[in-house]
Amino acid sequence: MVGTEYYVALSAILFAVGGVGVLTRRSAIMLFLSVELMLNAANLAMVAFARSWSASGTLTALNGQTAVFIVLAVAAAEVSVGLGILVAIFRNRVSTDVDELSEVRA
Amino acid sequence: MTDLVQWAALAPLLALAGAFVNGLFGRSLKEPAPGIVGSVAVGAGFVLSLIAFFGVAGTGEAVRVGFGDFLTAGSFTLALGFHLDQLSVLMMLIITGVGFLIHVYSIGYMHGDPGYSRYFAQLNLFVASMLVLVMADSFVLMFVGWEGVGVCSFLLIGFWYRDLANASAGRKAFIVNRVGDVGFLLAMFLTFKVFGSLDIQTVSAMAPTMLYGSAVLTGIGLLYLLAAAGKSAQLPLHVWLPDAMAGPTPVSALIHAATMVTAGVYLIARTSAVYAVAPGALATVAWVGVLTALVAAIAAVGQTDIKRILAYSTISQVGFMIAAVGAGAYWAGIFHVLTHAFFKALLFLGAGSVIHALGGEQDVRKMGGLGRRMKVTGTTALIATLAIAGVPFLSGFFSKDAIVVATFTSGVLGGVGGEVLYALLMITAGITAFYMFRWYYLVFAGEERLERAVSDKVHESPSVMTVPLVILAVGSVLVGYLGLPAFLADNRIAAWLGHATAAGEFSHPSVATEWLLLLASVLVAFIGLALGYWVYVVGKGAMARRLGNTPLAGASRGAFGVDALYKALFVDTGSGTAEAVTLLDREVVDRGLVGLSGVVPLIGGLLRRWQSGQVRAYAFAMLLGAAGLLAAVALVGVLK
Amino acid sequence: MTAVLTILVPLVTAALVLLLRNSVLLARLAAMAGAVATLVLAVLLPGSRPFSAEWLPGLGVSFSVDGNGAASVLVFAVTLMMIPALLVALTRVEKGAAGFAALLLAAEAGLAGIFMARDLIVFYVFWEATLVPGLLLLGLYGGEKRREATTKYLVYAVTGSFFMLVSILALKTLSGAASFDVIDLMLVTPDLPVVTQTWLFIGLALGMAVKLPIWPLHSWLIDLNEQNHPSGAADVLGSLYKVGAFGFFAWGIPLLPAGASRVGPVLLALAAVTALYGAFGAIGSTHLKRFLAYGSLSHMGIIGVGIFGMHLAGLNGAMYFLAAQMVSTGGLFLVGGMLYHRRRTFDLREYGGVARSAPALAALGLLTIFAFIGVPGLSNFPGEFMSLLGAFKNAPWPAAVATLAVIAAGVYGVNLYQRVFQGPSDVPVKDLDGLEMYVLLPVVVGVLWFGVMAAPQLRRIEAQSQLTALQLERVAAPPMPGETLTLGGAE
Repeated sequence: MVGTEYYVALSAILFAVGGVGVLTRRSAIMLFLSVELMLNAANLAMVAFARSWSASGTLTALNGQTAVFIVLAVAAAEVSVGLGILVAIFRNRVSTDVDELSEVRA
Repeated sequence: MTDLVQWAALAPLLALAGAFVNGLFGRSLKEPAPGIVGSVAVGAGFVLSLIAFFGVAGTGEAVRVGFGDFLTAGSFTLALGFHLDQLSVLMMLIITGVGFLIHVYSIGYMHGDPGYSRYFAQLNLFVASMLVLVMADSFVLMFVGWEGVGVCSFLLIGFWYRDLANASAGRKAFIVNRVGDVGFLLAMFLTFKVFGSLDIQTVSAMAPTMLYGSAVLTGIGLLYLLAAAGKSAQLPLHVWLPDAMAGPTPVSALIHAATMVTAGVYLIARTSAVYAVAPGALATVAWVGVLTALVAAIAAVGQTDIKRILAYSTISQVGFMIAAVGAGAYWAGIFHVLTHAFFKALLFLGAGSVIHALGGEQDVRKMGGLGRRMKVTGTTALIATLAIAGVPFLSGFFSKDAIVVATFTSGVLGGVGGEVLYALLMITAGITAFYMFRWYYLVFAGEERLERAVSDKVHESPSVMTVPLVILAVGSVLVGYLGLPAFLADNRIAAWLGHATAAGEFSHPSVATEWLLLLASVLVAFIGLALGYWVYVVGKGAMARRLGNTPLAGASRGAFGVDALYKALFVDTGSGTAEAVTLLDREVVDRGLVGLSGVVPLIGGLLRRWQSGQVRAYAFAMLLGAAGLLAAVALVGVLK
Repeated sequence: MTAVLTILVPLVTAALVLLLRNSVLLARLAAMAGAVATLVLAVLLPGSRPFSAEWLPGLGVSFSVDGNGAASVLVFAVTLMMIPALLVALTRVEKGAAGFAALLLAAEAGLAGIFMARDLIVFYVFWEATLVPGLLLLGLYGGEKRREATTKYLVYAVTGSFFMLVSILALKTLSGAASFDVIDLMLVTPDLPVVTQTWLFIGLALGMAVKLPIWPLHSWLIDLNEQNHPSGAADVLGSLYKVGAFGFFAWGIPLLPAGASRVGPVLLALAAVTALYGAFGAIGSTHLKRFLAYGSLSHMGIIGVGIFGMHLAGLNGAMYFLAAQMVSTGGLFLVGGMLYHRRRTFDLREYGGVARSAPALAALGLLTIFAFIGVPGLSNFPGEFMSLLGAFKNAPWPAAVATLAVIAAGVYGVNLYQRVFQGPSDVPVKDLDGLEMYVLLPVVVGVLWFGVMAAPQLRRIEAQSQLTALQLERVAAPPMPGETLTLGGAE
């Protein structure tokens, strides 16, 4: 069995990659992809921990897996709404550059 | 018999029903239907009052009619009910009896007025309130009637409201009355604090067990006196009554002469048990009454308006009544209420008849000799004049004599100048005879000073107006015999009211002294009349003109300048305070707190700078925050 | 269940009215049906069973409401006055009448919630939630300066509520009560140390005093009434903005009796000042709505005197007054709206002689004014009288000062009548139409009902105020073993 620490390390790497993506990419599509990456990094960590808990016998842990499903569902919903908004924005201004989208600033 | 007496509880309801009918449907009724409805409602009340009177006379027992609870708090409950005893049924008779006559008279007087039905609705409402006032078995219900009559008085004084002067007179009456009402409220609060009850009979029963002359009891007495002074136009709250003459004349007769203004006398007689243990308060009552009687009588001499003379006369006469109850002679006060109701209502209705005949003229200098052209009005007015002046064998003589003798023999006033009060009242009685002679002479006798246009129209009033005059005149002669001096005959009214009021202490002078006092009263009346004859008939007015230039006459004309004084003291400062409050509110309270609340937008403006709208800036901030949080957790873990 | 329905029915109706806003007739029908149904429910409240359901069990919060006690009287007054308010809103608001009606209904539900809540958190939630319809009514439908008025109202209310929330949360934590339920709290909170109680009470008082309102925290009320929709429909729910007295009565004093006893005298003095201050403010006003706002402020001062006098009669009276004043104050705002409808101005100096061309309006206006200034036999008198009577027993001087407001009330009352209805008339106006008759009918009924039938309603209030009095006695003198508690009533 692969040690939990490997999964966690991978999760951290994925999260960092996603975070850097969010901060550096200007295209909204890429932003979404990066956010997905971060979410799935978290998912991975949760599944890994759940496995390690149940292996050590402390908990018959389905909690982690359950949480992952919730995250997946929410992420799907978020993406569909987000993409809808994006399409609408793209129709209006033929660009998805988030730096140009600052109308809601105070 | 008790069952029959209970029907009297319907009397105020009937009047109320009359008010409703006239108020809601009166405008679609044709004249004189509203007047008849109103008169019947009050007349039926008179019949019920008569039944109650004989019922109470038969058994000698008071009857209570209960309607259930009104206010509750813990073990304190206030039930509503009517208490029908000797005092209240007598007052009911006066209210409904004189009230009925005045309603009938109004049918003629208000003929053709556009507010005909409104007038009768309000007059009926007044009778209902007044009945509630005298029938109430608790202070709270009495207060309901008390404020109710004030409201009706406000409405009826300002009846011709399109003239703002009339409306303002009503307003003044209401506000001054409210000052008295606050006295009533505070008196009730103090009564509740001391006695734990607001039921008049309970309080009366408990009063003798209280500490004689204690400060709280005196306080209660003085507060009820303030209430009485407001409603009965006594010093220092008398200023509203002369202005109240702006209302229709029958209203002046009913409300501002016969009934409402005597409510204060009734209140003090009703609470006589409390006053019996608060001698200080009682003496104050007597002094207020006597001083009011004197001051108002002097003021009456200088007036030229036919109704204003009578208004000051009313204040003065009510002063007599207040003096009587202050001396502890409660029966004498109520007796004078009764006789005064007849002759003063008669005087006002006579004045109304004159005003009606002259098409609205009210200045006595433009009248004269009317007695020759208005026989019934003139004759009845003469009877009333003689009655109020205190001419023997007429009603006013007996009641006024009872009062002055009471101040002389009163045990309560013994140490506080009873003799002075007696002397002042005797002087006032003389002035009364003088100004009433002046009034009658200037209006009904002597040469005619009418304006030509008016002169041709002078006519005697229709019989719907003169019949009530005659009935009242008969009463003005006869009712005095109910209260003959005790050393001559049975004093029926004193015995009657003795059941319902506390007993005052009086010394009993010898019969010779009694005769002497009686003779003095007669003498004073005739001196006053003779003085009038000398000034106005013998002196042919020249004398009056000369007297008119003295400072006292000036003070009399201006009623001692009290109005101007009050305006400066209360009206101006009051409206000044009101303006100051609105200004303070706008400029200080508001601005100060808005200044504080102005900080909120300032902070908001600063925080707004952070919201750049750049998604990636937000994301970076979030990341920084998360990292910071992580670092903090790690650090705490290390420190542990 | 009746209690819950009294909250739910107006809420559902509000949503329905919004859905049907495109059909005037249906929206009107739905709104009126909902309001009448709520009134019927309110009549059924006395004796109804309390309702409780778990809400946030982990925090000790349950959704418990009870329509008995003072709530039954207060909710009745609110639901009664909703009928004329809705009638006016549906016919006299030109744009967005349905929205206006829906907001009124939502406010009605919120008020019912405030009065019936038996859980402190539920109470707080309703207390805050009711702000929203009030703010929207002002912000969306108000007059020219509605922005300023709304901001002011919001800042006052929210600032006060913040301190209140802190106190509420501290209350349970410090006392160790089992839950936020009123009984659970009452059992233990009076045993808190006096200093703690005092600070907690000050926190609560800051929130409640703003909404009483008490001088000098009142100025939002004047602007709010001035800027609300000219029809007066939004001002009818007067206690929407004046729930502070109820807060003190039902929560502040019974939960923290020792604190209340220490802070009470200050508030009592301020309330007495408020009574006079408001009355003088009314005398000095020339704007009809500001005038009514000041007059109503004076009433609130008297209610405050009744509450902080902390005598059973005063507590009963204050709650009764709070209910009854809604009828006369609301009625006068509606009469004011009718006058505005005719003359397009609130400036009293422009009026005069209206009684000549509009006698029915004058008669009903007069009745309402007399009720407003506390003429006995009409709605305000029993409550005003009891408030002062009770307070006088415990604290004669402040009560006597507040009683002077009765004179001032006489002045502003007859001033108002004279300025509007008497004097020579130069501008003829039309008299009441059929709709306006129906609008004023509940006002007349309410004015007479509250004026005459006081005893049964006072008894219902007393069931609750005895609890308050009991709590006060508990800190005044702890009972000896074997001794039974006596109430703070008359001996």
